[in-house]
Amino acid sequence: MNQTREHDRDMAARFVARMDGDNWAEADEAELQLWLDGGPGREGLLLQAHAGWLAATPVAQEEEPATPAFWRRRGVLGAMAASVAAAVGAALWLDARSTFATRLGEIRRVPLADGSVMTINSGSELTVRMARGSREVEIAQGEAWFDVAKDATRPFTVAAGKVRARAVGTAFSVRRRETGVEVLVTEGVVESWSEGDESLRLRLVAGERALLSDTAVVHHESDRASAVDRTLAWRSGMIDLNGTSLSEAADEFNRYNQRQIIIADPAVADEQFDGLFRINDPQGFAQAVKASLNVGIDESDPRVIRLTKSQ
Amino acid sequence: MTQGEVINALARRRMLAAWMAREIVPHEAGMRAWLARARVSAEDIDELMQEAYCQIVSLPSVDHITAPRAYFMASLRHMMLRRIRRAQVVALDALGEVENWRDENIISPEDEAGSRIFYQRVMAIIAGLPERCRRVVELRKIEGWSQKDIAAHLGMSEKAVEKQVWVGVRAIREAWAKAEAQSAQRMDQAERGAGGVR
Repeated sequence: MNQTREHDRDMAARFVARMDGDNWAEADEAELQLWLDGGPGREGLLLQAHAGWLAATPVAQEEEPATPAFWRRRGVLGAMAASVAAAVGAALWLDARSTFATRLGEIRRVPLADGSVMTINSGSELTVRMARGSREVEIAQGEAWFDVAKDATRPFTVAAGKVRARAVGTAFSVRRRETGVEVLVTEGVVESWSEGDESLRLRLVAGERALLSDTAVVHHESDRASAVDRTLAWRSGMIDLNGTSLSEAADEFNRYNQRQIIIADPAVADEQFDGLFRINDPQGFAQAVKASLNVGIDESDPRVIRLTKSQ
Repeated sequence: MTQGEVINALARRRMLAAWMAREIVPHEAGMRAWLARARVSAEDIDELMQEAYCQIVSLPSVDHITAPRAYFMASLRHMMLRRIRRAQVVALDALGEVENWRDENIISPEDEAGSRIFYQRVMAIIAGLPERCRRVVELRKIEGWSQKDIAAHLGMSEKAVEKQVWVGVRAIREAWAKAEAQSAQRMDQAERGAGGVR
């Protein structure tokens, strides 16, 4: 008896998960109807599991900047947010952990509770923890730029793998790449290191960048500030190329767009290129390349743009 | 059945579930506590709840229900009285509890502290999920991404994402029940402390 009910609950959850997806079709509906008709009370179990699942949708509280505004955009419980009692203090929110993720091509600006602002680049995922004595961000994937509000009592630390970058009040970006973690400083001073290897401790000032792996400083350069700004052009939705090789430029565009650029002619891959482009306009970039480098463009496949030898 | 009918059936089901999520789920703790005080066993509470959910499904529409919680409570009360009559042995104080029921008696701590506590509970439930499942559920519930987008982002198949959602649905359902039990206990204690309202 109990086992049957357990099994029914399991099936109800399974159907709810399937309905929650994007592929519900006639066959699924038929299968569900068959199951619903197969035992008493199953309609109720299904509704219970479904309602429980939908109820587990967090809805942001108006007066809490720590709660990202976009939590509200899909809240089925939107009405509940209106009846907030402010009695419970902000203390509950300390140590609160929030995860943010961006899709391909999405760039998002998120104000944090402490007054800092982070701008998250395309295809990224990170977690923010605000505690009484520390501010921590962990990058699981991708890149973000941080404009850190000054607070000497609460160091702001960004972790990506074992690599750490810490600031008190400054602006910098951290990008997790396959080859390592790139730290770029636009303002103030940032201290970076790798957990477990103190010899890698590095002080970076405005205009500097470093590529760190878990075990080594791969690359460290004192760029001119303008070059750092150029690298961070994505914050305003642009890609700024300055003597960038065509293959690197294509990689940049491919980071933001479904439609991928493929360089079919290896002879032009190392050609250098300048220009300012909109992040979501790989076609515009391809046209510019065509005009100045004398290559052909094949746009017959909607999924890719092929740069070929000129005809 | 045509594709259009399938979509309509799905949309109807979703709307009803969203209505229940909004109107009933946050108050289940209070209702379960009330049933527990009327000496209903945990297993019977589960059954009554399920029955009451079934009754909602059987309605042609819920548009006419202006006070959903009171309606749901009345429905539970009705089913319970029917059970007690069927059992023939009338537990007098149990019956008394049912008869004495007033909506204001079951204002739960959840109502008083507003949706913030409910929100905290949701976040705690999600945080307690197993790692892989938690990532998927966070992207689905907090970010509002589709299962398809999540699959692309995490490099998983859509079926694999659905599987994690399934684990999540089940875990969240259990978590609600547990949160309800805890909350019921708290409330019972609070009431006794206040000098036995009952």
